[in-house]
Amino acid sequence: MPTKNVVDERISKFKNKGKDPVKLREKRITECVELRKASKNENFMKRRNITLSSLPDEDALSPDSNDTVTPLSIEDIIKDVNSDSKESQTRGCQAARKLLSQERNPPLKEIVDAGLLSRFVSFLCMDDEPTLQFEAAWALTNIASGTSWHTQQVVEHGAVPAFISLLASPMLHISEQAVWALGNIAGDGPAYRDVLIECNVIPALLARICPDTPVGYLRNLTWTLSNLCRNKNPCPPLSAVLQVLPSLIQLLHLGDKDILSDACWAISYLSDGDNDRIDVVVKTGIVPRLVELMSHKELSVMTPALRSIGNIVSGSDLQTQAAVDAGVLNVLPQLMRHSKPSVQKEAAWALSNIAAGPCKQIQQLITCGLLPPLVEQLRNGDFKTQREAVWAVTNFTSGGTVEQVVTLVQSGALEAIINLLQVKDAKVILVILDAINNIFMAAEKLGETEKLSLLVEELGGLDRIEMLQNHDNDMVYQAAHSLIEKYFGDGEIEGIKVDTTEDAFLFKSPDVQRTFEF
Amino acid sequence: MELNDGNLQTLTEFLRKTLDPDPAVRRPAEKFLESVEGNQNYPLLLLTLLEKSQDQVIRVCAAVTFKNYIKRNWRIVEDEPNKVSDPDRTAIKANIVNLMLSSPEQIQKQLSDAISIIGREDFPQKWPDLLTEMVTRFRSGDFHIINGVLRTAHSLFKRYRHEFKSNELWSEIKLVLDTFALPLTELFKATIELCQTHATDVNALKVLFSSLTLISKLFYSLNFQDLPEFFEDNMETWMTNFHGLLTLDNKLLQTDDEEEAGLLELLKSQICDNAALYAQKYDEEFQPYLPRFVTAIWNLLVSTGQEVKYDLLVSNAIQFLASVCERPHYKHLFEDQNTLTSICEKVIVPNMEFRSADEEAFEDNSEEYIRRDLEGSDIDTRRRAACDLVRGLCKFFEAPVTAIFSGYVNSMLSEYAKNPGGNWKHKDAAIYLVTSLASKAQTQKHGITQANELVNLNEFFVNHILSDLKSPNVNEFPVLKADAIKYVMIFRSQLPKEQLLQAVPLLISHLQAESTVEHTYAAHALERLFTMRGPNNSTLITAAEMAPFTEQLLNNLFKALALPGSAENEYIMKAIMRSFSLLQEAIVPYIPTLIGQLTHKLLLVSKNPSKPHFNHYLFESLCLSVRITCKANSATVSSFEEALFPVFTEILQNDVQEFLPYVFQVMSLLLEIHANSIPSSYMALFPHLLQPALWERTGNIPPLVRLLQAYLEKGSATIAGSAADKIPGLLGVFQKLIASKANDHQGFYLLNSIIEHMPPESIIQYRKQIFILLFQRLQSSKTTKFIKSFLVFVNLYCVKYGAIALQEIFDSIQPKMFGMVLEKIIIPEVQKVSGAVEKKICAVGITKVLTECPAMMDTEYTKLWTPLLQALIGLFELPEDDSIPDDEHFIDIEDTPGYQTAFSQLAFAGKKEHDPIGDAVGNPKILLAQSLHKLSTACPGRVPSMLSTSLNAEALQYLQGYLQAATVQLV
Repeated sequence: MPTKNVVDERISKFKNKGKDPVKLREKRITECVELRKASKNENFMKRRNITLSSLPDEDALSPDSNDTVTPLSIEDIIKDVNSDSKESQTRGCQAARKLLSQERNPPLKEIVDAGLLSRFVSFLCMDDEPTLQFEAAWALTNIASGTSWHTQQVVEHGAVPAFISLLASPMLHISEQAVWALGNIAGDGPAYRDVLIECNVIPALLARICPDTPVGYLRNLTWTLSNLCRNKNPCPPLSAVLQVLPSLIQLLHLGDKDILSDACWAISYLSDGDNDRIDVVVKTGIVPRLVELMSHKELSVMTPALRSIGNIVSGSDLQTQAAVDAGVLNVLPQLMRHSKPSVQKEAAWALSNIAAGPCKQIQQLITCGLLPPLVEQLRNGDFKTQREAVWAVTNFTSGGTVEQVVTLVQSGALEAIINLLQVKDAKVILVILDAINNIFMAAEKLGETEKLSLLVEELGGLDRIEMLQNHDNDMVYQAAHSLIEKYFGDGEIEGIKVDTTEDAFLFKSPDVQRTFEF
Repeated sequence: MELNDGNLQTLTEFLRKTLDPDPAVRRPAEKFLESVEGNQNYPLLLLTLLEKSQDQVIRVCAAVTFKNYIKRNWRIVEDEPNKVSDPDRTAIKANIVNLMLSSPEQIQKQLSDAISIIGREDFPQKWPDLLTEMVTRFRSGDFHIINGVLRTAHSLFKRYRHEFKSNELWSEIKLVLDTFALPLTELFKATIELCQTHATDVNALKVLFSSLTLISKLFYSLNFQDLPEFFEDNMETWMTNFHGLLTLDNKLLQTDDEEEAGLLELLKSQICDNAALYAQKYDEEFQPYLPRFVTAIWNLLVSTGQEVKYDLLVSNAIQFLASVCERPHYKHLFEDQNTLTSICEKVIVPNMEFRSADEEAFEDNSEEYIRRDLEGSDIDTRRRAACDLVRGLCKFFEAPVTAIFSGYVNSMLSEYAKNPGGNWKHKDAAIYLVTSLASKAQTQKHGITQANELVNLNEFFVNHILSDLKSPNVNEFPVLKADAIKYVMIFRSQLPKEQLLQAVPLLISHLQAESTVEHTYAAHALERLFTMRGPNNSTLITAAEMAPFTEQLLNNLFKALALPGSAENEYIMKAIMRSFSLLQEAIVPYIPTLIGQLTHKLLLVSKNPSKPHFNHYLFESLCLSVRITCKANSATVSSFEEALFPVFTEILQNDVQEFLPYVFQVMSLLLEIHANSIPSSYMALFPHLLQPALWERTGNIPPLVRLLQAYLEKGSATIAGSAADKIPGLLGVFQKLIASKANDHQGFYLLNSIIEHMPPESIIQYRKQIFILLFQRLQSSKTTKFIKSFLVFVNLYCVKYGAIALQEIFDSIQPKMFGMVLEKIIIPEVQKVSGAVEKKICAVGITKVLTECPAMMDTEYTKLWTPLLQALIGLFELPEDDSIPDDEHFIDIEDTPGYQTAFSQLAFAGKKEHDPIGDAVGNPKILLAQSLHKLSTACPGRVPSMLSTSLNAEALQYLQGYLQAATVQLV
């Protein structure tokens, strides 16, 4: 008998109703337009004025650095840099570097316009003049840290191959300067990132990782690697990812928080893509370590670790299961209650994606005690967290079993989402209405729609849904209207005096009535 | 169409005619304009006129016509011709902003609307310079122009408040922010400075304050979707100035008008909205400013008067506090005892007071008052906002807030006691306060369902409510009486039954109060009490308990309908319906009098039906009268017909559309009570029921089908005899219904009744045609609903006329048709049939096909025998298949606009489900077993072999079970 098929088909109809379950997983769309300030927790794409760990004594490099002599003017710099004397060239480069390092309004464009870039690049090759080499590299690094246009000038003057060669410099501070410059170029965007990868920057960088590499150097190198993993449209080539991953994994097992932070950011970039990309990361076996780092006491480590896991659970059920097996559900409750709203939000986002999974994962989510913090966030969270939490509820109600949905309602989630119906965000409202509809569908299976209608009314939901029938957004209006029609229609006319009217309107049996509505 | 004087002249004349009060002049002119609007230059002619015409009236008329033209034609719909020529589009966009800004206000408004319609389509891509053009005007220094720009910007940007986030939308907002945010901020600052320089010039201030209000609205729109970087960076500027404006007062801007909100109020109200937006969505960034706003808004509340013009401001301001006080991290702003006391004393209590405006509404506009007070349409009122604030505060501070208010309640009650005549409003406020403090959850069906445990509701009822209910003069202090009645009503689930029983006779006497609100509340309270459930699902208050009051109740209810203002009071009518339904046979002695009053009422309202709810309950009450009386003695049906038919006839003759569905339902109810005959009065009406006009209105279809079914059930012999010529018309109705995806099931109801009741010889000539129609429909549009109905019909036919007749008629239409229907429709789809009766019909029909149709045993149809049997066992045992193909998911909704609402179903006209097979077949599984047994004895050996070769094991097991239960064996 085809019982099983019939039932399966029906479940798939139910889940498919109106939306594709795959779409319930919300991927982070990085290319979307943003109105806000760039997020404060994110890594900087480019860095100016970092300190080189391997920098020899500043005095040794620049005997006049403590001098009170007034800095050289741009005209003097041009003259010096363009002169034939190594001494003047070095003095000019150093003066340029200092000018470019000043905190406010460094004259990047003036230096570029003065046509000094080709000179700087040519100095990079002068292995015999390490001081000049270093000062030129520094100056170029500072220019590359500017806008895209500035970076473009540096690249177009042929700096990329020169810097890559410099990586192999026996002078650690010069090599480190090259690492930094390349990081700035890679951070500019996918195009230059791929130019660097084409020029084999990755093997050259990885060659510098060895047991006695100083920690400070490794920090800069990890940051540069992370920029090579960064950006989408397109993602970095798969071959490059495979090249860089083993070293990243290695770095993730070190103890230094800065290295951990940038390595985690790198993983978060690599896992921010379609499921094939996530798969590459999951297959390295790094998931348990990432879950461990989600509890790291440093926010700078915990944030990208959480982001990475968040990306992974936005993948397939199997990938999500890897994170669940690694214990992500044990860590999430404390992150949901973290003092920083941005952490709560990321945690809620991850939770919403786990809630989009099969009912087995939903059950684990319940077992691990995620419902209480979810409801707390729905009630009192920051708006951005509430939004993710609402998605979690809707996903939960569309994939969960009837019993699971009942548990959710009993945990206070229904009351909380009803309160949120007054938020000033049409999409969130629509998602909540969807959740309420899902809960009604579960109640229908239990034959408890009427009870649920009363509960929703008691919680003030009916008033709010009725008001939403005046909403300017048409889809919100439609959704509110159809809920009212379906579950809050003039119930009292039918529910009168059981003995005379109960079966009276079976004139059309309920089933016929139902098809009538679809 | 040239842009010349001749055409301008012609257009002017036609525009003037469109203003003519005489439709004979106006309509042709409107028609003419519509016929020429497709011509190039038409919109430019309008723009020329609105700018240059000497006649002010023509200018405005041209502006309105232009706006409507844009509304109808600007949008380019895919696959439809472009309705505005490209040169016209370019010219309009090039000139309209200038024109708008240089026009007087009346015309400016129209053009501003037109710009926003064009903007909705063209902005930003196809109108790239619009924004810069507008921003440039900010520098004009002329605030009439600036306000024009701001107004236009507002109508362009306000959609950001309700649209979903999308890359497209956000790119637009980003573009707007890039060009608009900084100039807007500069304008904001400059305007505020100008307000200071012109602090004594009232006319200048008025213009400047409307600018500030518009700027604040734009702020709201631009900040709605997310917090833009620009506004985050400039939060200090905006919030400091908003805060300053909130605390500002200027005597010059105060208005004398008590009703209409002034400029100051509008501005402050919008600022409250802006603060609430930030508090809700950008809490992290807004936190440093929030305490200042709480203080400012609170001070604002304390210093704002009771006038109606402040209502929106006050309710927005209170709502802001209510939303903030619920947040855990702002708890500290409120928790101090002095703060709480002062909020209660200065914000909540004053806004709960019964104001003179409320008093006016209570007396003169009772409908509005009831809607607000009873039905919760009080969203924007002060009382509602104050109530929400009480609930918000109770979240963290229930005990202290309750304690503070208890003190207030007591002092207000003692004030009242000192001088009831002068201080009755104190008691009203006390009751309101208790109500809002006590109610935590509420539903229409049960009233308050969760109450604050710190409030003793029963004690308050006994000490303060009962006295008002008992007061012998029902017309004294009507507001307090209404309060007391409302108290009983909303706390009905919390009060003990004996208190409710004590209240019932008191409520009955209040039905006679002169105050509309008061007697309406009494009716409503009684109606609600009568719907309460007691143990065993029966009503809480029984007919026996009501016996001593029955006569008084019915008397007073009907007398209340005679009170001024309540002739069509839906609450009273509903209470009548509910009383009938509760009292049941106890009303029989009164029916002869009451039916006269009800029909009289019906006659009156049918002249001009205006209160749909009243009318609905009136018909429900009629149905109840009929049912209850005829249940006791079915012979009385004729006296109802005598009373009702004259009114019904009038309604039918005057084609009172709203009432027809009701009339058909009541007639069905009456006709169904008759034994198996049909009075001639019904037969006289029969031809009229078949009139196509009636069937064009969707609301008529369900009740008319039911009525025709009743005709067929009671009068098939009469129809076949004296009205045989009407049979084609009847089948025509069936055909009309079957052609509609929305109504085909109704067509099948009718067809099933025809098959079941009409003598076979009367329809024999139409049978083939019926099937051909069904097959045509099946071929052209096969929906799940149609198939389900079709399956039931085919099987009913088989039950009635036999399996052989079914097979023969199919095959006579087309060879092998019977096999095709079995294979393609019945076997795969029968699982979808729903409803116990429907399933039974299919089971019996299929059993007959399996066991009484020789063609199934001897022809190529034989191969379908086992699959059909398996499908039948599936019908018995499997869950119903309610899957629907994706493409027809929404058919029914789309095809039946407003169907459900159009058909006003009467609950008390309900009819019992009809089972055409009835007791003839008790258990269809047993019937199957017995029939198979019979078949197997007729052709020994064949049945077992067919079963063993192709029936699946599980099905076979079920079948064995049926055979055992029937104690038969197959041979």
